[in-house]
Amino acid sequence: MTTNPTASAMRHFPLDGGGREGVGAQAPGQPLVSIHDLHKHFITGRALFGPRPILRAVDGVTLDINRGETLGLVGESGCGKSTLARTLIRLYRPTSGSIHFDGTDIATASERDLVPFRRRVQMIFQDPYASLNGRMTVRDLIAEPLEIARIGTPQSRTAKVHDLLARVGLHADHANRFAHEFSGGQRQRIGIARAIALEPDLVICDEPISALDVSVQAQVVNMLEDLQDQLGLTYLFITHDLSMVRHISDRIGVMYLGRIVELASNTDLYRRPSHPYTQALLASIPVPDPTAARPAAPVVGEIPSPLHIPSGCRFRTRCPIATDLCAASEPELRDIGGGHLAACHYAGAAPPQPAA
Amino acid sequence: MTIPQMNPVLSVRDLATSFFSQRGEVQAVRGVSFDVFPGEVLGIVGESGSGKSITAMSILRLLKASGRIKSGSVHFDGQDLTALDEADLRDIRGNRIGMIFQDPMTSLNPTLTVGEQVIETILRHRKATRAEARARAVELFELVRIPSAAERLKSYPHEFSGGMRQRVMIAIALACDPKLLIADEPTTALDVTIQRQILGLLKDLQSRLGMAIILITHDLGVIAEVTDRIVVMYGGLVMETGPVRDLFARPMHPYTRGLLASVPDLRDETHRRLTPIPGSPPDMAHPPTGCPFTPRCPHAMRQCQAALPPIFGTGHGARCWLHHPDAPSSFTSSSGGEVSAQRRVRGPSS
Repeated sequence: MTTNPTASAMRHFPLDGGGREGVGAQAPGQPLVSIHDLHKHFITGRALFGPRPILRAVDGVTLDINRGETLGLVGESGCGKSTLARTLIRLYRPTSGSIHFDGTDIATASERDLVPFRRRVQMIFQDPYASLNGRMTVRDLIAEPLEIARIGTPQSRTAKVHDLLARVGLHADHANRFAHEFSGGQRQRIGIARAIALEPDLVICDEPISALDVSVQAQVVNMLEDLQDQLGLTYLFITHDLSMVRHISDRIGVMYLGRIVELASNTDLYRRPSHPYTQALLASIPVPDPTAARPAAPVVGEIPSPLHIPSGCRFRTRCPIATDLCAASEPELRDIGGGHLAACHYAGAAPPQPAA
Repeated sequence: MTIPQMNPVLSVRDLATSFFSQRGEVQAVRGVSFDVFPGEVLGIVGESGSGKSITAMSILRLLKASGRIKSGSVHFDGQDLTALDEADLRDIRGNRIGMIFQDPMTSLNPTLTVGEQVIETILRHRKATRAEARARAVELFELVRIPSAAERLKSYPHEFSGGMRQRVMIAIALACDPKLLIADEPTTALDVTIQRQILGLLKDLQSRLGMAIILITHDLGVIAEVTDRIVVMYGGLVMETGPVRDLFARPMHPYTRGLLASVPDLRDETHRRLTPIPGSPPDMAHPPTGCPFTPRCPHAMRQCQAALPPIFGTGHGARCWLHHPDAPSSFTSSSGGEVSAQRRVRGPSS
């Protein structure tokens, strides 16, 4: 990982708008974000008889994000990773559970109380074509967060915009153009400049490179790493790209049907994947090497609907080693050694013989 | 697959396709040539705007109204597809050439059962009774491993998951035993475990049915996994072509090298910094003169801007002046690439 160990000490990002209004006290030893048993359920559709079906998108997530780290979050579509991110920044109100941000529980905070929090958490979106207002100049797009936060004067904001443009590798004379004049990679840079304008603590990157061309993805990833070092940012990096997440993350959480099923340091996860789902995911990565050995499809079937989550272990319907125990009881996310967490009855032990 | 001696199933020669709008001409494909041989999987890899999908659409003549094939030929089964009328084309599409696309939901009719859509395809191209067509549909669903095939024929597309819909699309594409299957980003919209299932299925079907496949993708991993031969496209042109192992082991074109270097290596635990290609792909409304990769190329010379190089090399070749017989050898030797001096280097291949 390229994260500079002194990153947090290097937090010198001249902000012309005065000091930060902290939510709670800075406590360096504590995680920046501490999520406990978070649930986000949606009531969907209609049922003619009986209760309306409940979609359990996030279904009991416990997770810490440490200051200055990049936490990768991977999983297939429908696993709840984006809902988790949106609940974490309170775009959604959680159904239950707590989200401590820098010591303060924001899960139940009112919109008014959330104002200082919102400055400190920003988001980079997947689609740089849809996430930028086409009628605004680049200057206005990047200055908008500063205006909303009432930071600086129009002149100082313009100076700040130029500084931000330089940080993301664009020119000052790009400021008067419109988003449609830029390529996908350049638009994503504009989105990133917007996200870091308020000097946030946490940046949630939701598939930030998925829409970009391969040759441009590496540019954006390198830039995100540089910005992290320069500004001491903490990233939650959500992606389905299992090669890139390994490159950028310090720790990685694997989600399946609304829960974290495995959480470990980057190297540990890829060396010693311990949940059968993680093993299947890693074995499915297409490797750009024609001589590499390729296991046959490691899992059968597809992710069940979050409207009908299986009993017991939620992966058991696709799991090659599932037993009766897996149907009867849901495995807890537990430490299987060295801080490597896995939610499988058989993780760290000899696997059972495959069920008949 | 090494240089096959048989006749190609498909021969594309100097294909050029442009789109015309009020803002002018966009030269999406600018003279593409390649062959597809029986029983091989040819991969076309490129980024957005490289012309890879437009090449496929031009082969099938499925271009939008603003698009036009300007020149070139597409020979399939002794016929030039660019010269056929619409009725004859309909007899080839979905019959002798099957096709699957990225998003199966937009390719399927949401108001008809999937069984109806398979049967319709069979009846359009084959003399068969409804009962025979239905039996064939069940057979096809079993072939693409849709569980309880007969039962699932009665389902509507929305009742299937993305992976299952793609299996339905493959069943329809294979309904009439095509000689060639064109698959445009068939797994891009799918999750990685499902992608592995579908790629395995395609490989398996290919070896069982012996058809040729053109697989179009931006994903170097997918290309490495399933193809025999590769065409690398950039700026509407073929930049490099060769057998898959050779091309990954000894990429000749700076663009191919750049692409391979910009993806993280899963086996690398040092997390060294990625090596991106600087800049962005060319705007095909104003394609650069000479080699379209020149503005981003670490080896660019004056010659590169002045004139478009031909493809140097046979079997494995690249459109790059560095491989001109008289070019200095620093590029090829320093970066471990091998364009052997013994190999006869000649002008435009094919």
